[in-house]
Order: sequence, then structure tokens, then C-alpha cells
Amino acid sequence: MLILDSVDNLLEHIEEVQKDVTHLSSESLLKMCAFIENGNIEVNDDIAAALQYQDIITQQLSATIEAINSMRVSIKRFSHAFSNDETLAQDSMSKLHDKLNKTLAEAKDKKSRFSGKILDSEDAVDTIEFF
Amino acid sequence: MPLVIFVDDSETALASTRMVTNSMPIEVKQYTQAQVALAEIKAGMIPDLIITDLNMPVMNGLEFLQALRAVPSTSRTPTLMLTTETKAELKQQGKVLGLTGWIVKPFNPAQLKQAITRVLRLPV
Repeated sequence: MLILDSVDNLLEHIEEVQKDVTHLSSESLLKMCAFIENGNIEVNDDIAAALQYQDIITQQLSATIEAINSMRVSIKRFSHAFSNDETLAQDSMSKLHDKLNKTLAEAKDKKSRFSGKILDSEDAVDTIEFF
Repeated sequence: MPLVIFVDDSETALASTRMVTNSMPIEVKQYTQAQVALAEIKAGMIPDLIITDLNMPVMNGLEFLQALRAVPSTSRTPTLMLTTETKAELKQQGKVLGLTGWIVKPFNPAQLKQAITRVLRLPV
């Protein structure tokens, strides 16, 4: 289906942009870290937190890249089924709907899980918990 | 000096911990792959404290912890999880495997130093 090919191309583009952003963000932070270390600059709490945001950004983007990959696989399966057999396509449409919903739910779960203390209130999560 | 190893697939996360711990009286070794750290431990390296990320490719933090517990020299080594994850069930899995504590990113430098000082019983 032409429309699905366009959606797939768009998803591929978003995936590539996210990978580039992840790479640039990491490179940028490593350069800043080298500057701080070479200059023996003391890191205060705010800077330490800011440096760690990059790790969280990377994990968040990786989770959405996984979701995009999963969506692309599902769309390709549906497109293949649609082009071969109309009855099969009806069944595949239902499966595609379920799969995309599942992918969205997993992506939202990872958004929450990979945020650390960023999206939680300060009281909600203890930074350090000893067992 | 006590040996502390950090394992995190993110080089930027390792840089953050390095900057925070460089003034402490500890020797630090860092690894971006848990399986590499594990191989060195099996080859004879004996860390006094292990601080590991949870979400890593190939071998995640809990798998790493489980493997460490199977090595006689690290079967009881204090181990802290340093992660963005806050799920109670994952913490419980860590507890069962003998995890010492759970640190949520972004960590506060003073609190990370305190945790290391406390676990290693370093002079304050």
C-alpha cells in the first residue's frame, strides 16, 4: 500500500534523526566532560545532574527507536499480507492494530522507567536505597 | 586503596561518575561492557565495590550481578545498582541476588560519595 510505504519512510527518517541526535548529544557531553576534567573544575550538584541528563536522553531515544523498529516490522508484515491475499489482509489489519497498540504501551512504559528522578517528584523516589 | 569498578554502557555516565569520585581515596576502573569486567574478575581482579548500570546490551546489570555471585571472589562483594530504573520488582530481583543498594540517576555527587564511603567504610 502506497500510504504505508510513506509511513514507513517517515518512520525510517525519524529513526535516523534520533540516532544522529543521540550521537551528537553524546559527543557534545564527552567534550564538555573532557574540558571539566582537564581543567580540574569541581562539579557541583546542578552540573552533575545536567551531565547525567544526557544518559537519560539516550535511553529515552533508544526506547523510541525500538518502538519505531517494531512498528516498521508490523507495517511491513501487513503490507506483504495485503498485497498477497485480501482475507489474510483483514486478519493482518487486526493484528497490526494490536501490535501497534502494544508497541505504544511498551514505549510509554519505558518512558516512565528510564526517566530516573526526572519525571518523578523529589519525594516520590529516594536517590539511594540500601537493602 | 580500595578498588571500585563502574560498569555502564554509556561513556558519558562513566565520565560523570569519574568526575565525582576522582577526589576520593579509591582506585577506579571503568567498563562499558559487563562481560569484559566479568572476564577480568574471573582472571583475578578483586574489586572491593562494584557499581553497575542496569540496562545494558549483551549482559544487563542483574545478569552481571548473578554472574558475579557465581564467582567465588565476588560472591559477597558489595554491589550497587546505578540506574534510571525505579521499578520495585527490579529492586526486589536485585535484593534476592544480594544487591547492596539501588541508586537512581541522576545522582547527587555528595550522596554517591557518601554511599561509597559507607559501603567501603572509608574514613570520613
